[in-house]
Amino acid sequence: MSKETASPSLLTAVKELPGNVWKSLFRNPLPTNDLERSSTSFTNFFLHIHPVKVHKNTLRPLYTLGLGLVSFFLFVILVVTGILLMFYYVPSTAQAYDRMLDLRGSVAFGTILRNMHRWSAHGMVAVVVMHLCRVFLTGSYKKPREFNWVLGVVLLLLTLLMSFTGYLLPWDQLAFWAITVGTAIAGYAPVVGKDIQFLLMGGSTVGQEALLRFYVLHVAVLPATLTLAIAIHFWRIRKDGGLSRPADADPTPPMEMMGAQAGSKPSLPEGKKTYGLQGLVRGPLTKVNNIPDNTVFSWPNLFMSELFVFVMTLAVILVLALLFNAPLEEPVNVMHPPNPAKAPWYFLGLQEMVSYSAFWGGIGVPGIFVGLLLLAPYLDRSPKGVGVWFSRDRLLANTIFLTFLAANIIFVIIGTFFRGPNWAFVTPW
Amino acid sequence: MRFALAVGTFLILVIHGVILYHQFSHKWEAHQIAYFNQAKAMAKGDAERAALEARSPRIEQTVVADFGETRVDRCTTCHIASDDPRFSTYQQPLKTHPYSLAMGDVQKNGRWERRHKFSEFGCTVCHDGQGRGLSPKDAHGEDEYWPDPLLGAAVQENWRKEFVPMLKGKEFLEANCAQCHTSPGFAGTPTVRRGMDLYYASNCYGCHRIEGLSDGTIGPDLTEVGRKFKVDYIYARIKDPKSVLATSIMPKFNMLTDQDIRALVIFLKSRKGKNFSETEMDRYRLRATGGAELVQAHIKPVQINPAQMARQGEQLVLDRACTACHKLGAKDGAVAPDLTFEGLLKDPAWLDAHFRNPRSTMPDSIMPAFRFTEPEFKAMTAYLSGLKTVPALPSPEAAYKALCLRCHGDKGNGQGPIAEHLDPSPRDFTKAAFMNSKPMDRLVASVRKGVEGTSMPAWERILDDRQAKALLDYIQTAFVKEPRQEPKPRNLPAANPVASSPESIARGEATFVNRCAGCHGRKGDGKGPNSLDILPKPRNLRNAFFLSSVSDARLFDSILYGVQGTAMPSWIDYGLSNNDVGDLVNFLRNLNPKPKGGQNAGTI
Repeated sequence: MSKETASPSLLTAVKELPGNVWKSLFRNPLPTNDLERSSTSFTNFFLHIHPVKVHKNTLRPLYTLGLGLVSFFLFVILVVTGILLMFYYVPSTAQAYDRMLDLRGSVAFGTILRNMHRWSAHGMVAVVVMHLCRVFLTGSYKKPREFNWVLGVVLLLLTLLMSFTGYLLPWDQLAFWAITVGTAIAGYAPVVGKDIQFLLMGGSTVGQEALLRFYVLHVAVLPATLTLAIAIHFWRIRKDGGLSRPADADPTPPMEMMGAQAGSKPSLPEGKKTYGLQGLVRGPLTKVNNIPDNTVFSWPNLFMSELFVFVMTLAVILVLALLFNAPLEEPVNVMHPPNPAKAPWYFLGLQEMVSYSAFWGGIGVPGIFVGLLLLAPYLDRSPKGVGVWFSRDRLLANTIFLTFLAANIIFVIIGTFFRGPNWAFVTPW
Repeated sequence: MRFALAVGTFLILVIHGVILYHQFSHKWEAHQIAYFNQAKAMAKGDAERAALEARSPRIEQTVVADFGETRVDRCTTCHIASDDPRFSTYQQPLKTHPYSLAMGDVQKNGRWERRHKFSEFGCTVCHDGQGRGLSPKDAHGEDEYWPDPLLGAAVQENWRKEFVPMLKGKEFLEANCAQCHTSPGFAGTPTVRRGMDLYYASNCYGCHRIEGLSDGTIGPDLTEVGRKFKVDYIYARIKDPKSVLATSIMPKFNMLTDQDIRALVIFLKSRKGKNFSETEMDRYRLRATGGAELVQAHIKPVQINPAQMARQGEQLVLDRACTACHKLGAKDGAVAPDLTFEGLLKDPAWLDAHFRNPRSTMPDSIMPAFRFTEPEFKAMTAYLSGLKTVPALPSPEAAYKALCLRCHGDKGNGQGPIAEHLDPSPRDFTKAAFMNSKPMDRLVASVRKGVEGTSMPAWERILDDRQAKALLDYIQTAFVKEPRQEPKPRNLPAANPVASSPESIARGEATFVNRCAGCHGRKGDGKGPNSLDILPKPRNLRNAFFLSSVSDARLFDSILYGVQGTAMPSWIDYGLSNNDVGDLVNFLRNLNPKPKGGQNAGTI
């Protein structure tokens, strides 16, 4: 059209550019009423994975201890620092150790990146195990969360594998011999053990092939798998009705408002009737009318808690990274094993057990333990004791679990501190 | 929670500040700025000053691909004045690297010119250390894990304090000079040369192999010792071998002074396998020769005067470090038997053969074959066979202490000070079952005639029949601690009932593989799979000296009725007949051709 109409609008457009860009990015202003609070959660990609409203029980710090979130944030820190480290790392036996020296000595922020990555990795193993303990001890694996529990166990195994494959990459004595011991433990499995060991190492000893395999597993295969599994894990939390909580956490709604009763079998949708999306969602969050509940808006309650957990996680990792340097021992010397050669600490319980019996310690007992963990929700079908720490109804299950756990922790402690040359018993003082 | 959140966020901010501060305030930048400022003050013209003005701190590095793996040396980042002659009086790190004629530097028109240019050689090729590091701790290799700390300068935290003074000094750099200047006569490496001479003079070569220099097989191969180990470790291994490895059988060489050990360490540090001046062809030749000639060349043979054989022999025994293992008078290496009255125990022929090849007379001896000359062996034999002073033995107890204790131990349990070095191990007298299962004649014969093929010598020229019996009585009361019982005669064939034939030997072998190989090994060498758990170790049945010294009747006795106090069972209980044992004996006899020589073959 004419210039007169175009030029002022261009000027205004330039004037309003920052505001418009901001508004297009964040569609809502800081919310002031419930509608806007809902809308904020709903329209933001990173927030929309959360429910608009969240149960008060979910926000109790002493119930969850934030462990799941901590593991996730550690994973995020690991991905970010890991990608930065990838710019400097070469998975070659000739160069890997030199690259470590460069990272420690010359690369800008190299030391802090490596330290953060190292301590987050150790931390993630520990926190994921603690998360598993929390879920077990509160009985949260029970129906309908059985499969999410299974996924969680798989995530733990993936985390261990991540940490284990990363352990080799510095290519120093610590890495080389820990992986030699670790893969040897895999070799004790019946029938397929030797094949698995060969597949992992790409040969009969840890060498260039093993380094390349571990690298690819560590930076591509496992992170991708882990990301996918985490996504499903999160998605299922919502589809399973949020975090677990005790049966009496929700006020009983009037029967006529809930449609199908808790006791009767949920009927499948029939052809005659049409259902909205809400009708398909399981659990008491399906809120039809203004029934009383114990939920609060995610904004700001949930998001503030998550931010808090993130800030604390990052702060702890940064402090650790500043205070303690990641170890870097001698360059690999295939002819000169340290005595004792120890696996990474989280496998030292296995190594300790292997020192009594190769098969039972390395494969049998851990296999049974993992098997029991995977099957736990299908063996323990009692609906009681969900959502409470150390419920009396779960005395047997919790006792069995804690016994296994304590045994493993004791073995890890013995293996870490009480084993000297030739795996003889020594006192650490 | 908001307050905690604020604190946490603030903490993260602070840590980022600290990290940034660390990142942008390197010590090396300060060194470089100091250098620029000093150099500007010394600058002669405006152009030079402007050039310095234009420089800003940066990481300096030399990449050297010519010596071994590619080296990245960033040393000059701090030692930025190392090639600037004006800084010779400054403190490190801003000190000029010294110039010296010995290193081939030359003065032209009053200016020094380096023979080893830093741009071509870098730094770590001579000095070691970690070229990539930028902090002194990293770069100098003071971190206990770095394999090549700055030679003769850096000290790692875990090094033994008392050794540290001996591990410092410029002489250590000679070990790296010798990577290119390999000739032992090279003027720049006198300490390496001295260490090499000591390597031969102290008989190190007898046990250790260094490709091209020596071919010992008893101790570890030292061809790459300088690449594998740090100086403190090598020093400690020589100074006090057992302090590093409790199971080490290396003797403590007391005649070496600390300075000697230091020279040896510097020599050993120079042994890094393939060095820079070697071609593949040199390497091949070295492997082919083994080094015997070099040994001869190094140990400087002594001209033997036939008139003074014994005296020269004595000198040789002392000079050539025999007492590092053996006992001779007051000197005692605590590894090998006592030579004080050797002339009474062995004849010259045995000594001569034993010198040339110890295993020719003692199949499981750990004594190395030293590469002395023929006349030298003769002189040493002459000296040793002249040691015929009968020791004063007032009582059987004194006799035990003087003659037996070294091997059989003060508790009589066969674990004397040198027992671990002997194979077969000395008899354990506390096993009453064994002692009382052998007739007195047999025990007296073992004492007076010795046991062939073992370290038990014949004492007959020191102990007469009466003394031997008194000694055995003493052993009986002091160690066996059970009344002596003469064993009942056993039912044994007088001679082997089965004539030796290929069929008999084949049957014997089949029985052996079935019944005996578990302990005695498939080869009969006493190293079967069960042997590890058995003490005393199963007899080495390939020891021809021993085998040919025992009669068929004795073999029948041991096999049919077992050896009490050992793991050898009584095979008559497991159904072996006289004929089966006869086949076994034929098989064993066939395994061991009758040896020539030996001091008292066929006497038992």
